Amino acid sequence: MFGPRLHGENGVSLVPSTLEQSKLRLRWMFQPETDRFWGPRFGEMTEEKQEERFKKTAEDETQIEWTITYQDEPVGFTGIFDIDWVRRDGESGIFIGRHDLFGRGIASEAIRLRTDFAWRELRLHRVHNWVAHANRGSRRANEKAGYTQMGLFRRSFFRSGEWYDEWLGEAYPHTFPDQR
Amino acid sequence: MALGGTVRGKKTTLRLPVEADLESYNRWMADMRLRQAHRVWHEPAMPATWKERFKEIAKEKESILWSIDTDGKLVGFALGHLWTIGNAFDVIHFLIDPDEWRKGYGFDAALALHRYLFDYLDLRLATVDLRADKPAGIRIAEKLGYAEYARGHDVHYRDGAYVDEVKLRMDKETWYERWGATEREYPPLSAEATR
Repeated sequence: MFGPRLHGENGVSLVPSTLEQSKLRLRWMFQPETDRFWGPRFGEMTEEKQEERFKKTAEDETQIEWTITYQDEPVGFTGIFDIDWVRRDGESGIFIGRHDLFGRGIASEAIRLRTDFAWRELRLHRVHNWVAHANRGSRRANEKAGYTQMGLFRRSFFRSGEWYDEWLGEAYPHTFPDQR
Repeated sequence: MALGGTVRGKKTTLRLPVEADLESYNRWMADMRLRQAHRVWHEPAMPATWKERFKEIAKEKESILWSIDTDGKLVGFALGHLWTIGNAFDVIHFLIDPDEWRKGYGFDAALALHRYLFDYLDLRLATVDLRADKPAGIRIAEKLGYAEYARGHDVHYRDGAYVDEVKLRMDKETWYERWGATEREYPPLSAEATR
């Protein structure tokens, strides 16, 4: 399913994705500038397949997804996936497709909005994620929303002659900073 | 990929699952001893639903399902997931019929499975996530060579309370250090074999 509109600070909002926004991923996800900590930069990324994924996401009650907008332009996507409604736990993720906008705090605000929604509206108990340890910006954005390290997965993937570790984070309602 | 072929242990054999196994799968998924020890693969259902699930898993390119036998008797199943790039494997489900617990089948089948992963598929690493309150599974994993790399707090809900999840991994190097001298799918090729 898609999440409702959530308006944050500094021109950042989360909005329910449209098919057109969803198709932007075909371009966003296959660039070296966005794929250093993502991957593997190949796959069945046709428009037809993306339409199929979009429909599946809309119908799937174990995930909730948004397009991130910045000054009303779509710039990425985020969501909580594989939600287990008994354990009340889900895996969160975020992707900023507009690499020319990195460093403006867009991910931090999107993660704050998403995490707040997880506690206040979905009544989740926990969210967790995997972030490349070297992706300091993403890790910090998660930490600001209350994620703490639960472990490190050493030598997770390989880029340009180096092994990259992954940081495993988890967050709970009681770790969310009171930003009201 | 999808359905796994024969992998022989000393007491057990991992083999191609067949439709006749589904009745046991259904019974296990309805057994509270298993449900409290292990995540549920699918909820109990009618035979036709299980047949559909079986067809679906057979189509999945990155998942592998095996039934586990001992002397021709079905005693469990294993299901894992190959990473997209194909160099690692997550053990997702590994269960033994509760009536057959404490007979060494779990360790024997797990050892055979990992021999297949490292000695045959030449994978880089394997991972498994286990409930922290189930020491039998953790003991088997540690004996194989797994080590904890993360611990999720209050992850699983069972019997009215949350329990932690232990995340473990084993790298190829550990497998070879611990088991390389004794566990091989095939004996070395003879000098004449390639002449």
